[in-house]
Amino acid sequence: MFALADCNNFFVSCERVFRPDLEGRPVVVLSHNDGCAIARSNEAKALGIKMGDPLFKIRDVVERHDVTVFSTNMSLYADFSRRVRAVLRDSAPCIEVYSIDEAFLDLRGVDNPDFDGFAKALSKRCRRLTGIPMSVGVAPTKTLAKIAAELCKSYPKLAGGCFMYRPQDIEKVLRRWPIEDVWGIGRRSAPRLKAMGIKSAYDFRSLKEDYVRRMMGITGVRTWQELHGIPAIGFEAKSDAKQSICNSRSFSTEIYDFGELMEQVAKFASMTAEKLRSQGSVCSSLTVFAATNRFHEGEVQQYGHICVPLSEPTDSTIDIVRIVREALREIYVRGTGYKKAGVIASGIMPREGIAVSMFDGEHQDRHRRLMSAIDDIRRRAGDGSVIVASEGLAEVKANSAHRSPAYTTRWSDLPIVSL
Amino acid sequence: MSADTEFDMLGEVRAGFPSPADEEPTEKLDLVRLVVRHPASTFFFRVGGTSMVDAEMDEGDIIIVDRSIEPYNGCSAVCFIDGEFTVKRIEQHADHTLLVAANPKFKPLRITPDNDFTIWGVVTYVIKKM
Repeated sequence: MFALADCNNFFVSCERVFRPDLEGRPVVVLSHNDGCAIARSNEAKALGIKMGDPLFKIRDVVERHDVTVFSTNMSLYADFSRRVRAVLRDSAPCIEVYSIDEAFLDLRGVDNPDFDGFAKALSKRCRRLTGIPMSVGVAPTKTLAKIAAELCKSYPKLAGGCFMYRPQDIEKVLRRWPIEDVWGIGRRSAPRLKAMGIKSAYDFRSLKEDYVRRMMGITGVRTWQELHGIPAIGFEAKSDAKQSICNSRSFSTEIYDFGELMEQVAKFASMTAEKLRSQGSVCSSLTVFAATNRFHEGEVQQYGHICVPLSEPTDSTIDIVRIVREALREIYVRGTGYKKAGVIASGIMPREGIAVSMFDGEHQDRHRRLMSAIDDIRRRAGDGSVIVASEGLAEVKANSAHRSPAYTTRWSDLPIVSL
Repeated sequence: MSADTEFDMLGEVRAGFPSPADEEPTEKLDLVRLVVRHPASTFFFRVGGTSMVDAEMDEGDIIIVDRSIEPYNGCSAVCFIDGEFTVKRIEQHADHTLLVAANPKFKPLRITPDNDFTIWGVVTYVIKKM
């Protein structure tokens, strides 16, 4: 059996841990620069706020219904992601971190007649230990486990855990399951399938294997097999650090200025992105570090590092430079002379076959075309002929008017408790 | 706090000409490991409000809270009442729960099912600057 552990409305849930007064109330978390909604509480969803809605579009609803709005607080979410992963590691022999708020558990060889109880207990345990509500789906394949976890979200009666294994139960669910909501069915395939009258997961599963192969290739066949209960998607239990790309350097003179340090770190970020693209892979987390000289007399060595799990795996220079910039801001200490800095990309996986999501499609396509154009120019005109204009320009301050404190990662931001 | 009993002694000082390297401990005392038994469920809070005589905690103290510990009779816990985090001692009685403030000037608070009240986590340590 495989399990998918998926945190419910993860960013919102992180915010609620230190704001229990927001339980049961509409809450929205905005993307970088307060652009659009990237996480919504169930109550906010019920008000019709959609994933990706720009803030200006929902301003009315926000005011009318007293929706609490948060700016992205990545250091908070990263900290909770780490806590949740620790809980999962304690409960299964092997976990595969899939994204900031999802992980697969490999339960093959686990002799447990009561996987339903296991799923519910794990959900309850995660909530108690970390404060984060979680849906746990257990099924014979990863694709079915993902569906089982989704069921938990629609049916509160399942108490956060669902074990889906009897063929008749699976069939019943798949008959009602829209084809576009099946993991691995891409944005492009779904409309094509629907045009052919294949509307549900069950319709798709009922096709002939040869037919699926001709139409969608091996990826489609894998999904088809998984829906039949045959595990076809590998379990990648690689440790977070096993596969990584590191770009770092010691500086000839110490750097005190944020802008100057960022310029260096942006260079590492852009080298990292190029390396990812050259090998056709994406990374799912980024670590930035900066350290002072170890050999300075009488001064304490400063070493700052921060790991940012990405909600979307990426190979884009623009994305990576932006994230790294945010991260560096978190660890940069004014008045410190930095001697060394670097960027580490980890959670590396092939670009093909990554999950399709809201940021995919047009935006990613445009990014990709831009990136390959940049790589092209660089090959012909040499490195540095094109750079991402993150540095050297006047400092553009990100909008984050509604950011909550870094409750768990900064001493000055600890939550206050009265006597 | 009875934390001091949990430190290990790292070897003894010998007479003669000890080489500093000989005394180098292979492992350092790690305060974080001492006070954070369960990293996934341990959180830090800072005590706010006015500091009071006779209170176990003072303004500015850092308290270590472990959510993995089941609240027990007599434990100190971070509670969420009326939109505010507050630290209280939990007294479980047959038919009700009593929240006892660290400051003896405050009357114990009787919790009934009508109260909007949650025990957020059990306090395991207090870090106090002297």
